[in-house]
Amino acid sequence: MKTKYIKRYFYYIILAIGAFIMLIPFLWVFSNSLKTPENVLRIPPQYIPNPLTLENFKIVLKELSFMRYMANSFFVVIMNLIGTVFSSALIGFGFAMFDFKGKKLLFTLMLATLMMPSQVTMIPTYFIWSKAGFLDTYAPLIIPGFLGQATGIFLFHQNYKSMPNVLYESALIDGCNPLGILFRIYFPLSKPTVMTLVILTFIGAWNNTMGPLLYLQTREKYTLTMGLLTLNSSPIAGANMGVRMAGAVITMAPVILVFLFAQKYFVQGNISSGVKG
Amino acid sequence: MRKSNFWGLLFVSPFIIGIIVFFVFPVLFSGYISFTKWDMFNPPKFVGLKNWIDSVTNPVFWISFRNVFYFALIFVPLQTIFALIIAHMLNHKIRLKGFFRACYFLPNITPWVAGAIVWKFLYGYDFGLINHILRLLGLNGSYWYDSEKWWVAIGSLALMNVWKGMGQTMVILLAAMQNVPTEIVEAAKAEGAGRTTIFRKITVPMISPMVFLTMILSTISAFTAFDVFLTMFDVYSLPDRNSVVNLMVYREAFMYGKMGPASTLAWMLFIIILIITVIQRKFEKRWVHYEN
Repeated sequence: MKTKYIKRYFYYIILAIGAFIMLIPFLWVFSNSLKTPENVLRIPPQYIPNPLTLENFKIVLKELSFMRYMANSFFVVIMNLIGTVFSSALIGFGFAMFDFKGKKLLFTLMLATLMMPSQVTMIPTYFIWSKAGFLDTYAPLIIPGFLGQATGIFLFHQNYKSMPNVLYESALIDGCNPLGILFRIYFPLSKPTVMTLVILTFIGAWNNTMGPLLYLQTREKYTLTMGLLTLNSSPIAGANMGVRMAGAVITMAPVILVFLFAQKYFVQGNISSGVKG
Repeated sequence: MRKSNFWGLLFVSPFIIGIIVFFVFPVLFSGYISFTKWDMFNPPKFVGLKNWIDSVTNPVFWISFRNVFYFALIFVPLQTIFALIIAHMLNHKIRLKGFFRACYFLPNITPWVAGAIVWKFLYGYDFGLINHILRLLGLNGSYWYDSEKWWVAIGSLALMNVWKGMGQTMVILLAAMQNVPTEIVEAAKAEGAGRTTIFRKITVPMISPMVFLTMILSTISAFTAFDVFLTMFDVYSLPDRNSVVNLMVYREAFMYGKMGPASTLAWMLFIIILIITVIQRKFEKRWVHYEN
């Protein structure tokens, strides 16, 4: 019995040390974003900022237009949320409820999209958007979401397949057409799936760096990740580490908050998409 | 399941458009481009196998592959081992389980750009926290991501990648462990098996398909990793010793306008990933246990 307790304490110690190591980068960026320029570069390092200053955040938000980038990021994310949830529910429902020509082929193609490195499709996709005249707009970052995305389709497919068939049949008898059945009955019943997909899409779209790097050229259109990526080249931030840290805090804070509030859904989504996808 | 071509195709029509425009066409087109000389403005010119031969004879190409392999070789085993240990510990009656899980998962959802800014600071030579701790311990500080030795530079990025990706693997393995039927564990306990024996003889074989799956997933993610290199290295002045295939694709295409060689490299990457997945599947039978 005694060894069992010792083992338990041992577990707690290891888990706590591990968790602390995982958190060090977060604590460090937060602490340094609140320091004056002289205190950021100091050996031995100052662990708790003294004096505390919000100057770095002011510079980043106002002078380096992170306020603007944040609005852009939210716009892209919200459009992605609407597109992905709506289209994935539609497509997932189609796959789950009907037998139609070419279904197997489409399903195989969906799995293939997950296997193919994005580098293979990157150049032709860029070519399509440039031919269509959509370079330096948000279209390339938003429109693909409206055409379905494998993880989302999969989640809805699993969800709708597991729901009792009677639901569909009785609605049909009551004179509802399949579109109505999806949006009046099935969709409202799949709230956990919707939540999971919302969280996954939010984080994916917010963190997207490659897309904005390829498609956005005008500074005013940058998203936060793009603003942060190019921050080093700005004279103010290049000279001041604290300003860059504040930029990093602003960029990561929204996803961290979303994650902490909806951890349950997120972890679930990650398991099912990571495993089955 | 109802037979209805009309409703079925109507519901999946956005997907059909999407998959043709953004997958089938790009894949075929990129295959074609890999045999041409193309700058995206003038019509592509067919050059046969030239891009493929040029790639294979380019020393930077081999350096890039060495780097990717080395990156995967450090990242995949470390991530799997750490994830297994943490998942195993969290699979007991532990208080603050949700808190611990969140801590380990947090890096996973952080954008790479933000993570890179912090890690560059942590890895810094003069003012970095890591060198400071090393010096406190009486050791010499070192250059890390900006080291002149390729294996130090790529290695420090691989370690960051473990920090970033471990949480996800851990969560998947933890879920697998929680799915191990309690009857089996109880039966083993009744037979007098200790905790270590149960872990080795029951838990590990039962979750081995999941371990295998996460290893395949992390190998693929190591080979397709882009953001970590983009944010930690300077793409525009990258020394050859630190090159990786993905950055080469980006540089060839969007810095030098050489779409042909870029597409060839992307395809080579895909082929290598396929080969590795097939090899891993061959080895799978030796140690993965499947229930029938």
